[in-house]
Amino acid sequence: MSELMLPKQKYRSRKKRARIVRLILHIVLLLCSLVFVFPFLWMLVTALKTPAELLRGIDVFFPAKPQWSNFIDAVQKIPFFMYLKNSLIIVVLVVFGTVMSATTAAYAFAKLRWKGRDKWFIVMLATMMLPIQVILIPTYVMYSWIGWLGTRLPMIVPAFFGGGAAFYIFLMRQFFKGIPKELTESAIIDGANHFQIFLKIMLPLSKPAIVTVALFTFMGTWNDYFGPLIFLSNPDHWTLALGLRAFQTQYGGQYNLMMAASILIMLPTLIIFFFAQKTFIEGIKFTGIKG
Amino acid sequence: MGKTISIIKMRKQENLIGYLFASPWLFGLIVLGFFPILMSFYFSFTNYNMVSAPKIIWFENYRILLTNDNLFWKSLGNTLYHVVIAVPLGIFVGLFLAFLLNSKIKGISIYRTLFYLPNVVSVVAMTLLWMWLFQPNFGLINQLLKPLYELFKMEPLGWYLDQDLSKLTLILMGLWTAGGSMVIYLAQMQDIPITLYESADIDGASWFKKMIHITLPLMTPSIFFNFIMGLIGSFQVFTIAYIMTGGGPSRSTYYYAYYLFDKMMNDNAMGMASAMAWILLVIVLIVTVFALRLNKYVFYLGEDS
Amino acid sequence: MKKFLSILLLGLLSLALYGCNDDTPTDRIEITFWHMSPVGSASFSDTRRIITEFNQSQDVYFVKGTGFSFWDYWDKIAVAISSRTAPDIGLSTIDDVPIRAEAGVLYNLSELIEADPDGIEIDQLYDSQLSFATYDGHLYALPFTATTRVLYYNLDMFTAAGLSADDVPTTWSELHTVAKQLDIVQGSSIQQLGFDPTYGNATYHGYLWQAGLDFFDEDLNPTLNTQGHIDVLQWMIDFNSEFTRSQLTAFGDANTMLGINPFAGERVAMMIEVDSLYQTIKEAGADFNFGVTSIPVPDDGGIRVNWGSGFSVEMYDNNKNTPDKKAGAWEFLKYLMSKDTQKDLSETNGWIMAHQGAMLEVAEGDAIMTRILEEVAYARDKVYVPYAPSWHGNDWQSYYNDALTGKKTAAQALADARANYLQKKANWEATR
Repeated sequence: MSELMLPKQKYRSRKKRARIVRLILHIVLLLCSLVFVFPFLWMLVTALKTPAELLRGIDVFFPAKPQWSNFIDAVQKIPFFMYLKNSLIIVVLVVFGTVMSATTAAYAFAKLRWKGRDKWFIVMLATMMLPIQVILIPTYVMYSWIGWLGTRLPMIVPAFFGGGAAFYIFLMRQFFKGIPKELTESAIIDGANHFQIFLKIMLPLSKPAIVTVALFTFMGTWNDYFGPLIFLSNPDHWTLALGLRAFQTQYGGQYNLMMAASILIMLPTLIIFFFAQKTFIEGIKFTGIKG
Repeated sequence: MGKTISIIKMRKQENLIGYLFASPWLFGLIVLGFFPILMSFYFSFTNYNMVSAPKIIWFENYRILLTNDNLFWKSLGNTLYHVVIAVPLGIFVGLFLAFLLNSKIKGISIYRTLFYLPNVVSVVAMTLLWMWLFQPNFGLINQLLKPLYELFKMEPLGWYLDQDLSKLTLILMGLWTAGGSMVIYLAQMQDIPITLYESADIDGASWFKKMIHITLPLMTPSIFFNFIMGLIGSFQVFTIAYIMTGGGPSRSTYYYAYYLFDKMMNDNAMGMASAMAWILLVIVLIVTVFALRLNKYVFYLGEDS
Repeated sequence: MKKFLSILLLGLLSLALYGCNDDTPTDRIEITFWHMSPVGSASFSDTRRIITEFNQSQDVYFVKGTGFSFWDYWDKIAVAISSRTAPDIGLSTIDDVPIRAEAGVLYNLSELIEADPDGIEIDQLYDSQLSFATYDGHLYALPFTATTRVLYYNLDMFTAAGLSADDVPTTWSELHTVAKQLDIVQGSSIQQLGFDPTYGNATYHGYLWQAGLDFFDEDLNPTLNTQGHIDVLQWMIDFNSEFTRSQLTAFGDANTMLGINPFAGERVAMMIEVDSLYQTIKEAGADFNFGVTSIPVPDDGGIRVNWGSGFSVEMYDNNKNTPDKKAGAWEFLKYLMSKDTQKDLSETNGWIMAHQGAMLEVAEGDAIMTRILEEVAYARDKVYVPYAPSWHGNDWQSYYNDALTGKKTAAQALADARANYLQKKANWEATR
């Protein structure tokens, strides 16, 4: 509110300049958006084409008569709602499990001093450096030993134990380290223990970071078809991302149905992103920070 | 006095509590991760082909890769090139987008969602976009640059079909998904205490000054994060080359992870692929340990500097 | 809010743990079968019907089929075989049966056929395919489908250029002459192309075979360094020498990257493609006249041959000692290979099945299908090279591209490719 202290004249020209800056920003953003939106646009027009139009490739960009029925076909050809239910079961539990295991481990790495912490930190980073394909078969064999094949457990349980969460642990650690230690120290002086600090100070203050972790986990799990393909033996457990691949055949495939279904499974992620990023607007206001 | 004692007591307990907080992850790593990781290490000393029982051949895979395999070195070189350029560029563009989209102008939510779109659309759609932009003969970019080409009397650029430009082209294409790191920067920007800006305003600091002296330093934790993750991820670059260039032209985009994939899927040489994976791990680990030293330049609000 | 969240999580958790409702009747022996017609694919409902008909035909076994997309099937079955959790019966590729037979993951079908001689009409299957499924004198798989490559030609384009079906080429020089009459160029951009040897599903080794050459000798040493090899590659490069390679790629690129075929998209007049293109064109309801014929051969001593392959059907031995499942899988295998089922599968999927008698009946009255079927007899599968299983694909691709784009001469590209195969061979032998 420092502007109010300025002379009126200066204030006005400043306001005018701000408006011009905003206009330029809008133009830049709009232009950039175009290249970002284009692939989506292509998906949409492809989803509305007839098989004969598909054969013509890019000679026909816009379908002569949009085939909205392709969306209905795509939903009806696969057990869409069963897949949706399966996707939701896995995604919700994985997001929950990942947020839990990532935040606790991150707190240990960021705010606590324990023996071997820095070595374990390197080990955690190293787990991301081994290409996942070379541990695929042994992992599968292990699940078959403990009798998890034919269940959803291989997709869900690891998330509760930091499976694939190294990225998020590291991310949360970076955020936790940024939380002023005056807050934790004064809490300790007030007699709070680490669990209370974690729950009452760390988590509420890291809302944008937790939202980011949840968002990324959601996107990753929702769109992952390879994990479900390998680890879900029972087709009744298949997810949308996996079920959708039925439209892709050896030579070409039902591109229109595939794109229609792709758009349908993409929409929830977009809606969730739209609402999640709103938490990045308010900002978190620290109270009790000196300076 | 009593409070000081409780702090000392808590410090002693911290060791235990530290392990307690890390225990879900540690448990997962040791119980669920240990066996597969150990097995892949074992496979790297065998001629395992995913069908027959593996036979131990000790260091033969490693010897072959390091001394008698042209593609190993070629793909490693390509990958290093990619890492050196893609990582800093990715950080720069991600930051740029985050600054652009951290304003409070109307419709900012829509813009952010649009910028994030490439991270969720199907790969086929992205491929097509890149082709329409970069295809040397009919691509949009070469159409736009036509006057320039004529002015300088030069041949149109071949982009991903030119072996000297292909790696750079793929890096450019990869920037479309910078929306991912943008989200992390945006999240971090919200963590910067608003009071810092307020006191800077009182001092009459300009937007630029605020950015250099407040925003950027306080962004270093997430810049550091994206740097380390960029390193680890870039060393494993694969998908974009697989779909756009097939490793070509002239193997110029044949990356290490691509070669590893081929060893496994096309040659059925799981033993050799495992050896490649462990060599990669050692390389990335060494690079990362050096990169972690930059941590001392990272400004964490929660720590003494 | 918190209460709602925890109830939601509990609910989902119990859903996740809730066991699957197994639809196998308890008094039956369950046989698992993996195929490539997933739920939602065009061929799914017929595949399911065929399985159901088997289940209704007897009351001992119950076949449970699971379909995976073609692109996912290979990862899934590879992991399953290596972890010994493969289905009782499934599909695979026929050219690498020996590697699985040697590893002991397949049941010896010769033994089963001996005990049940009328079970399979072996004489109805192609000998060349059977030889690929044979290891150490025993059959370890049966050919399930067959593929072949033919020359597709667009009759409308022929007519427009003043040509007729009589002008369809049979030799390489005729092919060149006819193709040139079908090129349409506007300014510097190609509007229509007569033919290009690199388009479609044509391969260098296919042309080599036609010229009586091969990639490897009997001991699987790479050859590639004779003048004949160079000449064939040079012929491919020079066929459309009046256009630059980037023009040719651009013309093909736009469609091929989408998985859309330049012939089906009416951009080229003649193209070498696999049999399934016929089905694709038919299903899409394209409205142009076309025909198929043998791939033209070199003028002197050309050999009528095309690259064809197919899926195999195999019974997996997971080392679990389950003779009842083995017997059930054998029953189902006989059913799958019977004339009626093979005919049914071909009619519903448009595939060429391995059973010749069934295919003759399917093709009756369909001139194009009959013509395609004739070519199956001249199909040859690629040899399995243990040190370079992908010798025709990934291992060869970059040298091939270098030769096409002129980065290397044909001779240089072939010499480099050969050196690479030799290095792979030496390295492979060192790990034995």
